[in-house]
This record gives sequence, structure tokens and C-alpha cells, in this order.
Amino acid sequence: MENIKELVREYISGAALSNLGDIKDDTLIFESGLLDSMGLLFLIEFLKDKFDVEVVDDELNPSNFESINSIVDFIQNKVQSKIK
Amino acid sequence: MNTNRKPFSKDILIIKNIEEVCEKIITKLKEDLKQKLHRRGAVVGISGGIDSSVTFALAVKAFGSKNVLGVMLPERDSSPDSKMLAEELAVKFSVETLVENITGALDGFNCYQRRDEAIARVVSEFDPKVDKSKIEIKQDIAKNIPAIFSITVIKPSGEVISKLLPAREYLQIVASSNFKQRSRMSMLYYHAERLHYAVIGTPNKHEVEQGFFVKYGDGGADVMPIGHLYKTQVYQLAKYLGVPQGIIDRTPTTDTYTAEQTQEDFFYQLPFETMDLIWYGWENNYSASEVAIVMDKTKEEIENIYKSFERKKKTTEYLRMKPIL
Repeated sequence: MENIKELVREYISGAALSNLGDIKDDTLIFESGLLDSMGLLFLIEFLKDKFDVEVVDDELNPSNFESINSIVDFIQNKVQSKIK
Repeated sequence: MNTNRKPFSKDILIIKNIEEVCEKIITKLKEDLKQKLHRRGAVVGISGGIDSSVTFALAVKAFGSKNVLGVMLPERDSSPDSKMLAEELAVKFSVETLVENITGALDGFNCYQRRDEAIARVVSEFDPKVDKSKIEIKQDIAKNIPAIFSITVIKPSGEVISKLLPAREYLQIVASSNFKQRSRMSMLYYHAERLHYAVIGTPNKHEVEQGFFVKYGDGGADVMPIGHLYKTQVYQLAKYLGVPQGIIDRTPTTDTYTAEQTQEDFFYQLPFETMDLIWYGWENNYSASEVAIVMDKTKEEIENIYKSFERKKKTTEYLRMKPIL
């Protein structure tokens, strides 16, 4: 899980041109202006490429994407449901 | 905060002195044309939509029908209604018009091919010869998350296939579709330059401020006389100026994709009447609670819509920027 979290943090900090340490686990990435709608689109692409996680319309909720914590939970739930 | 301001209400955007507002716009248009642009007339692209019709009517009032040229710019995917309504408008205001079909230019840019290739990468069953397609935002604006586009393909059988658009395909579809607005802009400037006229742009306040325009496409013009008006106010002007009823009654569409597509589905995510009022509330610092009561929504919904407006304005700043020197 730590590995997933760090990969996500690294991706978001790179996309937002910000320092790794500036993005906390619960930083609201859209509200704080780190990512915009294109940023979300590229994040979805990153999840597909890195974790083979596909996002569908109904999953575009703040609870799945608003922070590093919520993204990591979302990835884990998707991977778990694939295994089942 | 201004404590003398009016309480928020559904009537807050109704223009009471419509004649005065029109006269002000017309006077400014005349001044801009003569004193700033130094041109002798106006070219307006007319699409049969409400914004271009009101702009056209204002231009005729400002410069006289002999000094305005209306240009219709249909292409392969345009609705036939667009040309028919634009012709009706031109007849009503006794203005000379031209039809410039831009399909050939778009073919030259491979506009349709580039767009259809991107759609087919997402929806493998897509057959551009018979299927219709459009892109749209399906999310609820009151959800606090940036908007993401989906592609919808409609088969001749009526079957609808809809998928979220990946970044690469979304960007390719938008970039290729934008050839349409940029080709229209080129043609409008051709006529403006050959006549020593100015190009009058047609975007309203939402289009300008939310970035619902193509940079150097429909965003390319010399003056935008209705750029400060809310959509419902544009309708008020339309009635006052005598725009044909068929245009007033028409649902605003993008007229860009092959499938029918309203501007609400494509971009705004709210009906105009609602969006106008909430946008007014947002830009005039009315509290979400005050607006929520009037709009019959929850405070949280209004707060999320306010955040969506903030995001749209911020992410589209690039479109409004002049080249950096």
C-alpha cells in the first residue's frame, strides 16, 4: 500500500509541478488547485497504465479521487474486486 | 461586502430598461468601429442560434443593413435548420448574406478523419458512415469533482454506446473539431478584409468567462458586443430586437457533432435559467445559503456549483490570454 501511495504522490506532484513533500495524504487535490479537469483525465490514464485500473462514469466521485488517500483506497478496491 | 445590494431573487437578472441597454450597446459598437477599429462595416457569422442572431440584429441597428454582411458557414455535420433560420433572420433585417460551405476546407485539414479515428479507438464498433456521435459531460455538476467528457455513439438501430474518453482521444477529438471554428474565423476575416469591415464576435458572458469558445476560432473577433450578457438576457434582447421566433424557440446546440447535442449536455451541465442565476450569485458574492433557498437546492449543492464555476474559470484562463510578450 505504501508503494501505491508513493507512486500516486509522485505522479501528482510531477503533474502539478509541486514538491513531493507539499502534498499530504489528505490534501484535497482539486480544491487546492493541484489538478484540474485535464489533470484528472491524465490521472485516470496513469491509473490504467500503472495499475491496470479502469475508471467508469459512476466512479467519478470525490470519494474516489479527492486526495491521495481516496485514490489509494479506490485502486485497492478495484484490484481486490478484480481478484475476486 | 456591499450591504446595499438587492436580495437574491429569480428576477434579479431581468433587464427592466431594455431599450436603454440596447442603445448603450449600439452606441458603443458604433464608437468601437469608427474610433478604435477604423472600419466601415461589420461581418457577422450567422448560425441560426440565439447569440449570433442578437449580435447580428445589434450590428444592423448600429451600422444599418447596407453596412452589415451576414455569412452562413455550414459544413457536413451542420443541421439544415441552422441555414434555414439564418436565412430567415437575414430576410427579416434586409441584410445581404453569403453562404460559405467549409466542408472542403475541413476535408483538406482531415478534420473529420482525425476526429473519427479517435472515436473509433474508444468505440471499436463506430462506423462514421452511418453512426452519429457526440461528446458530453454526464456528471452531476453538484458533485465536487472536475468534469470529464464521454463519447456517445448512436447506431442506426438506435443503440447507444457511451464511454469515458481517455485523455489522448479526448484531446484529438476536440483539436480536430476545432478546425470548424477556426475555418469559420478565417472565412469571416477574408470577407472582413476584402470589404474593410470588422468581424463582430458572438459569444455571450458564459461563453467568454467559462471558456466555451475556441481560441482563435469563435473567440477570434474584433469586438464582442454581447460578451457581458447572461444567456437569459440575450433572450430578452432577442425579443426586443425582433429576432424570429423560430430562433428564440430553438434549443441552443453546439451544431458541431453529428448527433444532436445541447450546450447543456456538452458543457454547462445546468439549464441556462438556473446557471445564469447561480453564476450571478457566485460572482456577486451571494452566500450559498441565500442562493440555495431561492433556487430550491441545498447549500452544499450551491457550494459545489460555485466550486465548479471557479474551476471552469481558472482552467480556461489560457483561452482568454493574449500572447505573452
